[in-house]
Amino acid sequence: MTTALVAGTAKVPQAGADLLRIVRINEEIKTVVNVAFKINIMALNAIFLAKRAGTAARGFGVLSNELRVFSQDLRDCMATLTSLIHGCVDEVSRVLQDIRHTRLLREAVAMSSVPRLAEVLATREAENAGHQQQLASLRKKLQRALEDAFQLVELGGVLAKSAKIEAAYGQSFAVPLAQVSGEFDGIVEEIRRSLESLRRSAFFTGQ
Amino acid sequence: MKTTKTIFQDGDHKWVAIVRDPDKPNYLVDTNEYLVTHGGRGLLLDPGGAEVFPAVFSALASEFDPSALSGIFASHQDPDICSSLALWLEFNPNMRCHVSWLWSSFIPHFGGSAATFVSIPDEGADISLEGLMLRAVPAHYLHSSGNFHLYDKVAKVLFSGDVGAALLPPGEDALFVENFDAHIRHAEGFHRRWMGSNEAKRRWCERVAQMEIDMLCPQHGAIYQGADVQRFISWFDDLQVGMAGA
Repeated sequence: MTTALVAGTAKVPQAGADLLRIVRINEEIKTVVNVAFKINIMALNAIFLAKRAGTAARGFGVLSNELRVFSQDLRDCMATLTSLIHGCVDEVSRVLQDIRHTRLLREAVAMSSVPRLAEVLATREAENAGHQQQLASLRKKLQRALEDAFQLVELGGVLAKSAKIEAAYGQSFAVPLAQVSGEFDGIVEEIRRSLESLRRSAFFTGQ
Repeated sequence: MKTTKTIFQDGDHKWVAIVRDPDKPNYLVDTNEYLVTHGGRGLLLDPGGAEVFPAVFSALASEFDPSALSGIFASHQDPDICSSLALWLEFNPNMRCHVSWLWSSFIPHFGGSAATFVSIPDEGADISLEGLMLRAVPAHYLHSSGNFHLYDKVAKVLFSGDVGAALLPPGEDALFVENFDAHIRHAEGFHRRWMGSNEAKRRWCERVAQMEIDMLCPQHGAIYQGADVQRFISWFDDLQVGMAGA
């Protein structure tokens, strides 16, 4: 087997592993989207609770509203990540097909002496390089979108912690407001952990 | 690499069988490909699966300039018939693929675009190869529901796809059937199981019995020639098909 053939076959497990990693990232994104939806419902309930508590919980109400906005922003952010993930699936599928076709074309070139076939192989390899570059570019975009999501979650964390402080001023509603703000904080932490695990995905680290 | 054997020649009108690859892994079914040439152009019949593309391409190139191929005839849609299509089209994007209308939107999953496919209607069609008229003969349900064979009335050769196929044991790899009775044992189970309709089989036998055929060339196994052609048609006519063990 030639060195080129060995290099071609070695890429198959890598591309296959990438596909598996992408699937895992997508599953984690689905989890975050579900949690983001939960924040939206919780924030809506918190707004009603703040209204019942009156002026003492006005600050809490403002923060709850901001958490609703955060929930929507987070879902938009996750939609961007999902769209990039779909792009990555397309590109990895192309790379997998490239690998097979290139292997077969290389074998045919090695077995025959048709100059045109060597040209076809060269064209195929140039296209393969293009697909690899496109995948690398999508990988970077995905990583950037993930960092954006992370920044957003940092903001969500600040909002949740501020809500905790505001809850303390809720007078007779302090206990239920503290409970709700604690739940916010817990959920934002859950999202942060999900995003942290995505950051560590071998799809980005290559390990 | 596969070997090529010219089974008919009259000037530049040729039938070339591309057969028997000693390096083929055993988990892949063995296939025969056929090349028809006329007027400097070629038509490749059932070009085979993607995994056998290197062996088929190199064998074909040893006999004929592959850039002079004008098209592919696919008897039906199976992967061992034409999953190499994308690779052939990568070599020559202008090649056309003649196939039953039934499969013309399924085979593009192997490769090609709308411009690649020439749909054959159920009743069959003539396919011109630089003035040589080849006839796509209906063989529906034998075994595929949209299935054609290809008849060359000048060469008196019928490419019969899976009809006549035999799964030969190791060591029995002669290109032509040498002992019909011994050979047909390797074809019987295949035909009983893979051919789905006794009615379709009867119609095919009636149709081809009226043709002048010197050679009946299946996609697997050995070629029937001379008296063995009629012997095969009679044998097939008598066989009960569409039978599974369970």
